[in-house]
Amino acid sequence: MRIRSPRDFWAGLIFVAIGGGFVLLAHQYRLGDMHRMGPAMFPTLVGALLVALGVILALRSLVRDGAPVPSFHARPIIMSLLAIALFAIALQWLGLVAAIAVLVLVGANAARDVRQLDNLALAAVMIVFSVAVFVWLLGLPLPLWPIS
Amino acid sequence: METLSNLAFGLEVALSWQNILYCFIGCFLGTLVGVLPGIGPVATVAMLLPFTFGLGPAPALIMLAGIYYGAQYGGSTTAILVNIPGESSSVVTTLDGHQMARRGRAGPALGIAAIGSFIAGCIATLLIAYFAPPLAELALKFSPAEYFSLMVFGLIAAVVLARGSLIKAIAMVCFGILLGLIGTDVNSGAIRFAFGQVELADGLGFVALAMAFFGITDVVLNLEHKEAQQVFTSRIGSVLPTLADLRACFWSIARGTALGSLLGVLPGGGALLASFAAYMVEKKIAKPPRAFGEGDIRGVAAPESANNAGAQTSFIPMLTLGIPSNPTMALMIGALMIQGIAPGPQVMTERPELFWGLIASMWIGNLMLLVLNLPLVGVWIKLLAVPYRLLFPAIFVFCCIGAYAVDNKIFDVYALAALSALGYVLLKLDCEPAPMVLGFILGPMMEENLRRAMMISFGDPTVLITRPISAGFLLAALALLLAIALPALRARREEAMQE
Repeated sequence: MRIRSPRDFWAGLIFVAIGGGFVLLAHQYRLGDMHRMGPAMFPTLVGALLVALGVILALRSLVRDGAPVPSFHARPIIMSLLAIALFAIALQWLGLVAAIAVLVLVGANAARDVRQLDNLALAAVMIVFSVAVFVWLLGLPLPLWPIS
Repeated sequence: METLSNLAFGLEVALSWQNILYCFIGCFLGTLVGVLPGIGPVATVAMLLPFTFGLGPAPALIMLAGIYYGAQYGGSTTAILVNIPGESSSVVTTLDGHQMARRGRAGPALGIAAIGSFIAGCIATLLIAYFAPPLAELALKFSPAEYFSLMVFGLIAAVVLARGSLIKAIAMVCFGILLGLIGTDVNSGAIRFAFGQVELADGLGFVALAMAFFGITDVVLNLEHKEAQQVFTSRIGSVLPTLADLRACFWSIARGTALGSLLGVLPGGGALLASFAAYMVEKKIAKPPRAFGEGDIRGVAAPESANNAGAQTSFIPMLTLGIPSNPTMALMIGALMIQGIAPGPQVMTERPELFWGLIASMWIGNLMLLVLNLPLVGVWIKLLAVPYRLLFPAIFVFCCIGAYAVDNKIFDVYALAALSALGYVLLKLDCEPAPMVLGFILGPMMEENLRRAMMISFGDPTVLITRPISAGFLLAALALLLAIALPALRARREEAMQE
């Protein structure tokens, strides 16, 4: 057995896992019957369809050639996700100003060519802009500073 | 002339000073972000969504529409000058547009793109005004069974017309539907798939989902294969096309508009398909045809008219049926729901000021774009000089603030990160996010309508095929699937035969 189309194979497995997961989770809710569909009915139907499609994809990838999975580059995705998560933590405890600073300064490292001085300036610009537009002009309820 | 009086009413709404202002801001911001390469209209609308949170439904929608066609316009500027499409629907514009720029005719190329888009936008607006009301009236008569089948048809059509593998696209639709079901079930009150998280009771944040799949993952992929871009901004000259240009383009614009308007209504259609089709048709029909690909002005006029017409008419199914034909329209529906308005045919009768105000504002918006684009093109080009490394952290900031500000929930920012990771893996595996977003929006509506249909029919699923209109939609969906699957089957059989 050789996987001829790795992209389809892995996509198929992911779909089987997700569809199966939803079907299993749906078990804890009432299924009902077709006349009175319970909260579990529709997710079970769609989840089963997803599993079926995943199985077809995975099986087909054993007989049909396809492109390999393109390489993953660690830096951009990890830095981006880290920056967003840190933004969330900082926003909760330290307020918007600190959160944007963290987001920009960490997020900018997702690129290969990083110039910290530029990023400091960019962070300052983004803070001023966001506070002026989102908080003052549009009046969105964002905490600016740490909650005392 | 009911349409005219309706349009007059809409103009009254759209011409209030604040709506004009929001329309202008929308067009301006849309063009601004649209010019930047690598940020498509979906990401633009998603990113700029938080700007509309503080507004009422009508100004918010007017501004979002402005952002959408502004982004569309801005994309063509980039296509002509840099040979990088600002978004996928201006890919074909690069063919002849950039050639014109190389020959020192960047000005007329930009000019005809703006003029063609303006004419197309005006005509498409009229089409919406005429065809939307009867369609909504028809849709109001639909029973749940018909509505369910219509949504199945809409999703299948959107999937079939999109690029990439059919099975993956349908799987992504299913995945989207399942994600859409997270949260409180309106019928039973059960909180589904929430893993005990209180924050998930209202469902997964749509804005976070859209930003993750179209904003963050896009940035990450751009950072992975970074190419040096050469900006072509030497001299633009006069943006006014000559009289000969205009004469050459008259029929191209007309054909582009007609084709674009038609394709825009189709699910999965919209601007992208329209511009490609218009260019192909133009290449076949226009005489003499030899100059295409070498800077023929008609090769700019036709697709640009078509993509604007298509962008405009794709509002028809969104406004009348509550069914998005592409991810941007899914975002619009998301914006409506954030404003507390249930999308569907009742919007027109219950909120006429919203409906007609939006349509009238499209007219005004198109005029504004003409004014914004022609004299200010020099300003937009300057934007192209901003390096991407300064741009993408700004995208992060808008996405994060936007995700948080929808409901003021930190949880949504974490969801943004998690969904970005998921989107990244799926994109690497060649699974397109567009079908998923459509499924996410339509999932709960499909469940609700299927439930009601089954309730009425006492659990008899054949009601979906015994009601003629419903059967028609399902048959059409099946026909589309077969039309795509059969040639593939045939091709594979031929492959096998050759082996």
